[in-house]
Amino acid sequence: MSHRLDEIQRWMQAVITHAGGIVPGIESPQARGEIDVDTARVEEVIARSEALSSVERLGVYGNAYFARLLECMGESFPCLVQALGEETFDEFAFGYLQTYPSTSYTLNHLADRFPDYLRETRPDTGELGGGEVGWPDFIIDLATLELTFEKVFDGPGFEHASILEADDLAAVAPEVWPQVRLRPVPCLRLLAFHFPVNAYFTAFRREEEPEIPGPHREFVAITRRDYVVRRFNLSPAQFALLGKLIEGAQVGEAIEAAAEAFTGTVEELADGLRQWFGEWAAAGFFESLELPD
Amino acid sequence: MAAAESMPELAMKPPRLGHPNLGLGVGLRTVHFSHILRAQPEVDWFEIISENFIDSQGRPRYVLEQIAERYRVVMHGVSMSIGSTDPLDFEYLAKLKRLAGEINAHWISDHLCWTGVAGRNSHDLLPIPFNEETLRHAVERIRIVQDFLERPLVLENPSSYVTFADSTMTEWEFLTRMAEDADCGLLLDVNNVYVSSVNHDFDPHEFVESVPHHRVVQVHLAGHTNCGTHLIDTHDGEVIDPVWELYRKAHRLTGGVSTLLEWDASIPPFEVVHHEVLKAKRHMSEQLETTEAVPRPATPRETAVPHPLHFVAPEVE
Repeated sequence: MSHRLDEIQRWMQAVITHAGGIVPGIESPQARGEIDVDTARVEEVIARSEALSSVERLGVYGNAYFARLLECMGESFPCLVQALGEETFDEFAFGYLQTYPSTSYTLNHLADRFPDYLRETRPDTGELGGGEVGWPDFIIDLATLELTFEKVFDGPGFEHASILEADDLAAVAPEVWPQVRLRPVPCLRLLAFHFPVNAYFTAFRREEEPEIPGPHREFVAITRRDYVVRRFNLSPAQFALLGKLIEGAQVGEAIEAAAEAFTGTVEELADGLRQWFGEWAAAGFFESLELPD
Repeated sequence: MAAAESMPELAMKPPRLGHPNLGLGVGLRTVHFSHILRAQPEVDWFEIISENFIDSQGRPRYVLEQIAERYRVVMHGVSMSIGSTDPLDFEYLAKLKRLAGEINAHWISDHLCWTGVAGRNSHDLLPIPFNEETLRHAVERIRIVQDFLERPLVLENPSSYVTFADSTMTEWEFLTRMAEDADCGLLLDVNNVYVSSVNHDFDPHEFVESVPHHRVVQVHLAGHTNCGTHLIDTHDGEVIDPVWELYRKAHRLTGGVSTLLEWDASIPPFEVVHHEVLKAKRHMSEQLETTEAVPRPATPRETAVPHPLHFVAPEVE
């Protein structure tokens, strides 16, 4: 009995991507719904070779499917692999790949929903209690950080564009400064974490084997310059200020948000603002500014 | 007898579909970016993995632009899925076409395979049954793609690990009829021919002798892994003698075509990869010599993974 090409393809995909392996794949309702053969009759679809049975031959594709994609996931999250150990990381990634199989022509999108998957499967009951910060948040935070590196590295940048320099900011008349809007470069990302995962990543990069830290809020700006991803730690006030600016708020409104998060004096905030804007302009955080009408 | 000689009506077709013989090239891999930019090695040409660059707005694209200014470049893809029964992805094809124009790619190639159905991508090069239905399907899609890209497509024979009960013809017969009916080019991967010949118990020389040589635009060389009962196309080592023997035959029958070495796992320094493809020079000059085919010793490796696996790791300060 011959089979149509579309039937063969849906059947083979169901068989070789089955999480339980080839035999459960052949017996799965999904495969049997396409071509109704059991393992004993699989030679009606896949011929055997002199050395291997049909099931063993399908096994080459089955083994490769998850092995290849797990290897790719590991390359996306090298720090998380070290933190969890390869076996535990692979368990998470294996579950992820079953929930969110690749639908893109490029592997560059393979990991896009991994932090979402970790959030969706986060254990919220038992010892942690509902909504309490715990080890799952460390994993989610670190996955989010490493995924952001990937997106910023190959996404839009400003290497071929002019950016706002510190002198451009200094040239703005003080009286109009509160009404100015600053347009961020397209690669600038702000991240707020429950755990100090950026510091953890720094230790990982130094080839240290850091202990998994306790919870501690951490705010980070990620950008790219000269095609390399750059990381900047932020204070809560800096995070609030930059967050508002990225949303498109005027500088005055953004400074109000920063003041709410700032714990020092007004004078210290004023000094800080001058320094921060200078440093951020030097780091290439802003593409342009919009003066009030 | 070569296929072209047995089909007089095809004798007017120029060799390689009119494409130049670019010489001996190397597959461009990210681990070699810095070396290539710094040392500017004397390499005839580079083949890029299209999917690593068509969306890039970062360093991969920046490096490619510099390389394309100095070297001749060909685009080789892994996601066209020409054999799939899913609809063609015209957004993907548009990106291929745009990049080919921007870097002045000499040609665009992919594989005679499918990568997924129902919207999924296995990121593997999955085999098709070789029969009349699949042939009609592939030819129709190749014609559509060629019309869209406004250039002939060049398709490679992938390594495969299964054959189908529904196949009614050999792979080389399928490739021959497909190439002639669709008027496309072929990328003859002699390592894949060898790997598949061991896995499917056929004579690799008959394969190389039978494909239409005037349509072979390019040859691929690579290493593979011997798992004892079968071979896996791992692209992780040197080319073995039986594959070189097939290369010598392909070189003689085609009259010489662009030759490229792929090395995708356990990638050594650039000089080692380049040195491996330069060995082809000796095989061209010794083209009529044949040596005893010595299979690579069996080193069973259950973890061997067929490539392609192409992923660009970010650089983070």
